[in-house]
Amino acid sequence: MHNKYSLNVNKISKRFGRQLLFRDISFSLVTGDSFFITGPNGSGKSTMLQIVAGLQKSTSGDVSFFMDEKKIPEDERFRHFGFASPAMNPYDTLTAVENIMFASSGIKKENIDEMLNLFGLYPHREKHVGIYSSGMKQRLRIILSMINSPGILLLDEPSSNLDSEGKDIVFSAIEKLREKTLVIIATNEHDEMKLCHKGIDIAEQNY
Amino acid sequence: MQSRIIKNLRKDFLIEFRNRSALNISFAFAGITTLSVSLACGGASLSSQVNAVLLWVIIFFSGMSGLSHIFIREEEEKTALFLSLCSDPENIYLSKLLFNIILFACITALVTPLYLFFMQVVPVYILYFISTVAAGSLAVSSITTILGAMVAKAESRGSLFTVISFPVMIPVLWISIKLTADSIEGGAPPEVRSILFLLAFSGVIISVSYLVFKFIWTEN
Amino acid sequence: MNIYRLVFIFMPVVIYMALIWAPPAAILGDASRILYFHVPVAWVSIVAFLVAGINSIILLVSEKNRREREFMAHNSAVAGMVFIILALITGSIWAKLSWGSYWNWDPRETSIVILMLIYIAYLSLYSSLKDNPNRGSISAVYLIIAMITMPFLVFIIPRIYPSLHPDTIINQERKIHLEAAMRITLFASIVTFTLLYGYIYRLMNRISALEIKAEEKHYDI
Repeated sequence: MHNKYSLNVNKISKRFGRQLLFRDISFSLVTGDSFFITGPNGSGKSTMLQIVAGLQKSTSGDVSFFMDEKKIPEDERFRHFGFASPAMNPYDTLTAVENIMFASSGIKKENIDEMLNLFGLYPHREKHVGIYSSGMKQRLRIILSMINSPGILLLDEPSSNLDSEGKDIVFSAIEKLREKTLVIIATNEHDEMKLCHKGIDIAEQNY
Repeated sequence: MQSRIIKNLRKDFLIEFRNRSALNISFAFAGITTLSVSLACGGASLSSQVNAVLLWVIIFFSGMSGLSHIFIREEEEKTALFLSLCSDPENIYLSKLLFNIILFACITALVTPLYLFFMQVVPVYILYFISTVAAGSLAVSSITTILGAMVAKAESRGSLFTVISFPVMIPVLWISIKLTADSIEGGAPPEVRSILFLLAFSGVIISVSYLVFKFIWTEN
Repeated sequence: MNIYRLVFIFMPVVIYMALIWAPPAAILGDASRILYFHVPVAWVSIVAFLVAGINSIILLVSEKNRREREFMAHNSAVAGMVFIILALITGSIWAKLSWGSYWNWDPRETSIVILMLIYIAYLSLYSSLKDNPNRGSISAVYLIIAMITMPFLVFIIPRIYPSLHPDTIINQERKIHLEAAMRITLFASIVTFTLLYGYIYRLMNRISALEIKAEEKHYDI
C-alpha cells in the first residue's frame, strides 16, 4: 500500500461509569510516523488503541482517518488498519494457515508461507492454534496484523509473551515497514517505545 | 461481498465440524425430545391439532437449544474481536444467518420424519405439510439469528434466549401449527396465502436485522 | 409548563365520575364501573409500548442524547409493565363478573398477555446487559423487532380464532349500550390515565437525566 494516510485524534476522553480513565487526548499522525502510547498499568493504553481502531466508543471527542486527503467512513476503517492485541484471539480450532487465509483479502499462498517462515511458525502451520504456546500465538497475531499490508498498524504490547528471538523478529518487521506505514504502539516496554519517533504518556495528560 | 460471506460461512462450518460437541448436542436434544414425546404418548392416536402442537413445540425447543450457539461461541472464545477486524457487520450477519438456516433445516429434517414415524401420522396434503414446516423453520431461524446475536452480548444467556424469543415467535408458531394441523387433517384445501405470510414475515425480519445488526455487533 | 400536573385535578374528578356520577350499566349494574379503570389502563400499556418503541428508533437513528434515550425507552417500559399488570388484573375481574370465569383466552386477553411477555422479555434483556456499554442499542433493537411482529400478530389473530375457539366469547362492551354519561366518563378516564402515565414518565426521565448529569459533572465531561 503506498497510499498516504493521516489520523486525527481530537480530545478523546473515556469514562467507565463513574471512573475516569483519561481525558482530552489529542494527536495527529501521518504515514511514516511511529507513535507510542504509554502509561502505567490500567491507565487505558489498550482502551485508547481500541478507540482509535473504532472497536470501542469514546465518551467524548472524535477520531478521523484520511486516505489521500479523503476521509474514510467509520464503517470502512477496519479495512485500512492491522490490529494486534492480547485481547484478540484467532480461532483455536483452525490452523495458522486457515486463520491467515480467513483474515486475508486475496493474498497468495507464497506470501503466507513467507510470513510464516519469517516468524518461525512454518513448521507449525498445520497445527491447530489451540495447542500453540502463548509466544507462538503472539507471533501469529502479529502476522495477522501485517498480512494485508495495511496503511495503518495498531499494536498493543507487540512483544508480550515473546522470547528474545521472537522480539527480534517482530521489531525488525516493524522497522521494515515503518517508512510506509502509520504505526501506533501501546506499550510499557522501553524497547518498543524506542521503535517510535514520538509518543505520549496517557497518565500524565490527566494532571 | 459474496466471497466474504462464503469465507465466514466456511470458517463456521469448519469450526463446528472439527469440534462437533455443539452440533452433536443440538441434534441429540432434537432427537431425544421427539422420542420422549412419542414415548410419553404411548401409542395413543392424537388429533391432528395436538400432533401439530407437539411437533412445533419440539421444533421450537430444538431451536432454542441450538440456534444461539453460533454467536455465543464467538463471545465465549473471545474471537468476536478478530471477526470484527476481518469482516464488516453486514457480511457477518448474513453468514451467521445462512449457517443457522442450514443448521435448522437439518434439525427439522431430522425431527419431522422421526415424529411422523413414531406418532404414526401421515399428512393428507404432504406437499402442504412440507412447505409449512420449511417456511416455519425459516422464520424460526431468521428470528433466532438476530436474537442470538443480542443474547451473546448479555450475561445469563441460557434461559434469556428462550424468554426473548418466545413473544416474537408467537405469530410464527400460531400460523405454523394451524397450517400443519390442516395439512395433517386434510379437511380444508391448502392455503398458499398463509405460507406466503410466513415467508413475508421471514423476509421482513431478515431485512430489518440486516439493517440493525451493526448496532448490536459494534459499540456505538 | 407541565401539562401532566393536571392529573392531580382530573383524577379525583374521574374517580367520582366513575364510581358515583355515571349510571350503572343495564345488566352488570355497578360492577360495570370497572370498565372505567380497565380500558384506560390497557390503553396506556399500549401507549407506553409505542413510546418505548419510538424512543428506540430515535436512539438508533440519531447520534445525539443516546444515554437519555436509553433511559427514556426503559422508563416507559417499566411504567408500561405496571399498567399492563393492572390491565390483566382488572380484565380478569371484569371477565369473572361478565362471563363467570377469570380467564378465557379470547383475542383481547391473549394480545395483552403477548404484550406483557414482550415487556418481560425487554426488561430481562435490559437488566442482563447491565455492564454492557451498548445496552441502549441492543435493547432498542429488540423493541423494534417486537414492534415489527405487532402488525403480523394483528393480522393473524382473526384467522386463528375461528378455528381454535369456535365459541369465541365476544366482548360485551361492544354490546353494552353506552349512555352519554358513561361515554363521557370513559373518555375522561382514558385522558386522565394517559396524563398519569405522562406524569410518571416525565418524572422518571427527569430523575434519569439528573443521574446522568451527576456522573458527568463529576468529571466535567
